[in-house]
Amino acid sequence: MELTFKQYNTIRLIVVMILAMIIGNMIVLKNFFIPIILLVISSLLLIYLRKNVKGVIADERDYAMGGKAAFLAMQVYSWVAVAGMFLFWAFSDINPFYKPIAMTLAFSTCILMLLYSVIFRYYNKINLTDKKLIYSVFVLALFLAIFLVFSLRLFSGEDNWICQNGQWVEHGHPSFPAPTTNCD
Amino acid sequence: MRNKIKELRTKMNITQEELAEKAGVRRETIVFLEQDKYNPSLKLAHDVAKSLKTTIDKLFIFEN
Repeated sequence: MELTFKQYNTIRLIVVMILAMIIGNMIVLKNFFIPIILLVISSLLLIYLRKNVKGVIADERDYAMGGKAAFLAMQVYSWVAVAGMFLFWAFSDINPFYKPIAMTLAFSTCILMLLYSVIFRYYNKINLTDKKLIYSVFVLALFLAIFLVFSLRLFSGEDNWICQNGQWVEHGHPSFPAPTTNCD
Repeated sequence: MRNKIKELRTKMNITQEELAEKAGVRRETIVFLEQDKYNPSLKLAHDVAKSLKTTIDKLFIFEN
């Protein structure tokens, strides 16, 4: 099956629209399993369709523009996130829910910067080194280590709210207020 | 940097689409090149020159 770039773009748009509708509904229904499966299936479908597109999908000008756009988007996001972080932190006395938002913005900016630096260094070095495999494994290990550290920090339950005798009790120093749901 | 892409393409009687296909780029890139709005990589310059049966130095005019 051969597709033109226009046909591929139309199908991609339809897939994204259907995905957005289903994921939106599934999140409301608190079902996260179906969205993940759908994301994987649609990604595989789009990869398959992309391979069947006749002609060039993207060339060096697109990649050059993409690089510039990505860099600018990263800078804009970082500035907005940092400004938002300070604002939410400053007003966290009014509403304690602002604190986790501020923390999320701060951490997401840090992760974005870190990823950018690692990927930039990777591309900068990979063409110069003869030990491509070793370097790739090293970068992958670094990514996994960072992911592991953040996962441990997020899911360790060290600083969290625990349900004890029908009440939410602080465990450690959670940076967010107690859940508003009933504690049974 | 100016270029003679449009001039040579018209002489060869080929469309932007055909030139793009020969050079392995999208048609929009040929539009940008013809309007001197994009400086191509050495490889693309070579591919476009080859597609137009000429050389880079004849196709692109470097100005100080």
